Amino acid sequence: MEKATFVELSEQKISNQNGKMKRGVAVIDFILRLIAIVATLASAIAMGTTDETLPFFTQFVRFRAKYDDLPALRLFVVASAIASGYLILSLPFSILHIIRSSAGMTRVILIILDTVMLASLTAGSSAAASIVYLAHKGNTKANWFAFCQQYNSFCERISGSMIGSFIAIPLFIILIILSALVLSRR
Amino acid sequence: MSTNIDIQESSKDTKGKAVLVTAPARPGGWKKGIAIMDFILRLGAVASALGAAATMGMSDQTLPFFTQFFQFEASYDSFTAFQFFVITMAIVAGYLVLSLPFSIVAIIRPHATGPRLFLVILDTVFLTLATASAASAAAIVYLAHNGNQDTNWLAICNQFGDFCAQTSGAVVSSFITVVVLVLLIVMSALAIGKH
Repeated sequence: MEKATFVELSEQKISNQNGKMKRGVAVIDFILRLIAIVATLASAIAMGTTDETLPFFTQFVRFRAKYDDLPALRLFVVASAIASGYLILSLPFSILHIIRSSAGMTRVILIILDTVMLASLTAGSSAAASIVYLAHKGNTKANWFAFCQQYNSFCERISGSMIGSFIAIPLFIILIILSALVLSRR
Repeated sequence: MSTNIDIQESSKDTKGKAVLVTAPARPGGWKKGIAIMDFILRLGAVASALGAAATMGMSDQTLPFFTQFFQFEASYDSFTAFQFFVITMAIVAGYLVLSLPFSIVAIIRPHATGPRLFLVILDTVFLTLATASAASAAAIVYLAHNGNQDTNWLAICNQFGDFCAQTSGAVVSSFITVVVLVLLIVMSALAIGKH
């Protein structure tokens, strides 16, 4: 009998520690989501508000650069905006996991959606990074001119907006890993 | 008064035996099915990742005309994004091959969460790597097909048709790898999460 109660008490202790760990992980999850929202939103806004007009012009052409002119940058703005919107919508689920650490199905849904968002955000930001690299270096073999030499502030803007998404992507990876860890300890 | 202490030696013996002998395997059910699907999809992903890396690596086209000063040649070497693509796809293919044993372990023991968790974590990291290289190569391929009027970048596909077709095929193959990796993560997460 004593052995049985001893086993029961130790099981209770383990499940208490499990509950505490899950709560801690849920809090970290919430905080990371907040940081990722700020990062993706900042990226989208920084890229979306680019507009530079060069001070000289010829009789026929006005030299102007916007993010619209390059499809990869447009894709980046859309992907960042969608990612930040998804993160905002997933905050209630994160709060739910802090309050009730026994929600199973919502965690699985969150992992699935996090993975899809990670893939799309990475794709958008890598495509934009590729174009930004071309803008800085150009390509002599294909005769693609590096327009950063002329559009300085536009170039700085698009390069800087990449930083936000490169912060958000590792955060997404950590979120997925944390959720998978918590799921496996049940 | 002597109390009768029931020393149930026989049950202790069986308990000791149960510790040494592994627990009887529960029927795998749907988790075993998911593990088998996982293995098959992983094999497919190995094929597509290797195909992407090989196709891009062998893309090379020299135009039949030339001027006095240079010859018109296009190879994956000329583009940094394509070099990155070849190396990264090779790494992803290598990882997928090395993860096959873990997949087999998950088939044999469908209810163990250890190998599946390990696979989810590593799959996520390599998904990011594969997506990054696929998307950056796709951006260059899109430019090669369409050019860009505002930046005065010419569409080189009009001249280098074969090179263009090979690189486009490689990018498509790498996106198949990305989709398969997403499916693998989703399936492993489902198998971990549903008890």
